Amino acid sequence: MQAIRVEALTKTFRVRRKEKGMRGSIKAILRPQTEEIRAVHGVSFGVEEGEMLAFIGPNGAGKSTTIKMLTGILYPDGGRVEVLGIDPTKKRRQLAYQIGTVFGQKEQLWTHLTPYDNFRFFGAIYDIPDEEMEHRIGELAERFELHEFINTPVRNLSLGQRIRCEIVASLIHRPKVLFLDEPTIGLDPVVKEQIRNLIRQMNREYNTTIFLTSHDVGDIEKLCKRIIIVNDGQIVLDDSMEHLKYHYLHKKIVEVKMQEETALPQVAGITVLKQKGSHARLEVDTGAVEIGDALRQINVENMEDINISNVPLENIIMEIYRAKDRQQVKAAIAPVG
Amino acid sequence: MNRYENSAVSNAGDIAKRRFLGQLRRGHGIPGRKYGVIYRSVLMENLQYVANMALGFFGYFVFIYIFIKLWEYMYRTPEELIAGYSKEQMIWYVMMTEMMWFGSNASAVGWQVKTDIRGGNIAYLMNKPYHYTLYILAKYTGEWSIRLPMYAGLAVVIGTVMVGAIPGFRLITVPAMALCIMFGLTINAVFKICIGLLSFWIEDATPFQWLYDKLILVVGTIFPIEIFPGALQPFFKLTPIYTVCYGPAKLIVDFQPAKCVEILAAQAVYLAAGCGLMFFVYRKGVKKLYVNGG
Ligand SMILES: Nc1ncnc2c1ncn2[C@@H]1O[C@H](COP(=O)(O)OP(=O)(O)O)[C@@H](O)[C@H]1O
Ligand SMILES: [Mg+2]
Repeated sequence: MQAIRVEALTKTFRVRRKEKGMRGSIKAILRPQTEEIRAVHGVSFGVEEGEMLAFIGPNGAGKSTTIKMLTGILYPDGGRVEVLGIDPTKKRRQLAYQIGTVFGQKEQLWTHLTPYDNFRFFGAIYDIPDEEMEHRIGELAERFELHEFINTPVRNLSLGQRIRCEIVASLIHRPKVLFLDEPTIGLDPVVKEQIRNLIRQMNREYNTTIFLTSHDVGDIEKLCKRIIIVNDGQIVLDDSMEHLKYHYLHKKIVEVKMQEETALPQVAGITVLKQKGSHARLEVDTGAVEIGDALRQINVENMEDINISNVPLENIIMEIYRAKDRQQVKAAIAPVG
Repeated sequence: MNRYENSAVSNAGDIAKRRFLGQLRRGHGIPGRKYGVIYRSVLMENLQYVANMALGFFGYFVFIYIFIKLWEYMYRTPEELIAGYSKEQMIWYVMMTEMMWFGSNASAVGWQVKTDIRGGNIAYLMNKPYHYTLYILAKYTGEWSIRLPMYAGLAVVIGTVMVGAIPGFRLITVPAMALCIMFGLTINAVFKICIGLLSFWIEDATPFQWLYDKLILVVGTIFPIEIFPGALQPFFKLTPIYTVCYGPAKLIVDFQPAKCVEILAAQAVYLAAGCGLMFFVYRKGVKKLYVNGG
């Protein structure tokens, strides 16, 4: 069964517009001018139960707006949404019992209470009986190693500890779908890794469907098997992570250090990215030239060091952000030759 | 004593701790000194609460002291009545309304609603299986139920030492008074929430909060409404003042069963109407947010 189904989803915001200066202000009062922002425009996709999906895009792409429509916080202008077979626009409360939301920049915990008391509070809100609650808190604390600080007031926790508790708090009612909007924003690498482990474990143990937005390529790469990229309110790519990377594997980055400055090969399929003295960085398109052939072009006698790597996912994503539409994205990821 | 002050407290504590750890790591600490620093940090953390509370207590005391002096000057003979109040009653009246004002910190409610809506936290809160306005109300009730008894204690001490007992006061009437105070504070909070909910439509509802607060503070808490000209009386009965501060304080200084029933009835009507308004405004606001975005 599909956990999330979205068809031709659209949301347009109408915002006031004002010209510069005092005259603009007065004009805006007398004759208000509005401008339409197409935050989400004809988005369609489906998410299987138990899937971990990365929903990414540059700032203002429409990710948060999409999440808000999926969770029933915003009303769509057009299209259809179904989460766990429920229409969020019609039965928001009913849906609330079955989904969890974490907004990375917002707080839901009470800062002067301990995580334990907070969990009890959320348990009560979701009508979970006391004994059951004790059991669940014990289990979650064990699984996600919260014992150390479960009785420390939230205001005294580190940011990482707090975010972990925030996430656990939205798991108390065992949601079937968890929406995470930039959960790792502003965290250090160690904490990021802890959060990722937590999310991964959740998914594995409870088969929770994960809908994740993030700017952190690590989050996406390490957690998700599928990736949807949006830009300007439209989906520009919907593909498996493996596929996406595979398409890009035809490009290798070769870094060489020579004993002295030498002329670099002028062959189709090899692009010089950077050359500085005896250092050079090349991009080899293995669709046009075999990697072995490419390496043979380099004077081995003269070589001090060599490093061959894949194009980082970050660069792949950046290139896709820059592409204006689906056509360009296809061109960007299609193997050459 | 709201949570925002607390976070400032913890920051100050954190900074002190970090500084302390830094000193340890750099290794130029006199043995024993570190415990002094720990002690100071902990003290600092706790002192902030105490300082806030003490400041409030002090403010309350000064306020009441001024009124004691004022009324001692106004009443020339001990038997004189002003607007039907004896001197003791008049002073206790101010002490009770101010106790409710200081002890409830109602401005926190309006502020919280405004911040939730303007800061976008409302998205989190409206998507929980509870009603947002009742959530705020419950939270606020928890807050004043800690503060108010402390002010009540202070008021009783000041009153018995500096003014004297309320004439004809009987302990048996205390539960009815407590109920009235509870209703009064809740009605006040409901109106503050209603004003806070205006933030769904306007950038800043603070001016409206300010107007409402001033109405209650100036007209409602300083003098009993009988002091004002008779022509204004019906008007006052229609404002929240009658149920929020006049009612409970009047009962405390001059308890009469009939008056008590009248005030409780008025409070019930006000509470029902206020809650109705609150739910209505909230629903409209959420719908606006839902359709147009925040
Ligand atoms: N409540 C709102 N009112 C007006 N415009 C909005 C509102 N929310 C979002 N937008 C606009 O819609 C676009 C998408 O925003 P958002 O979904 O928050 O992007 P993302 O989360 O991908 O960064 C942006 O241009 C943003 O300015
Ligand atoms: Mg966003």
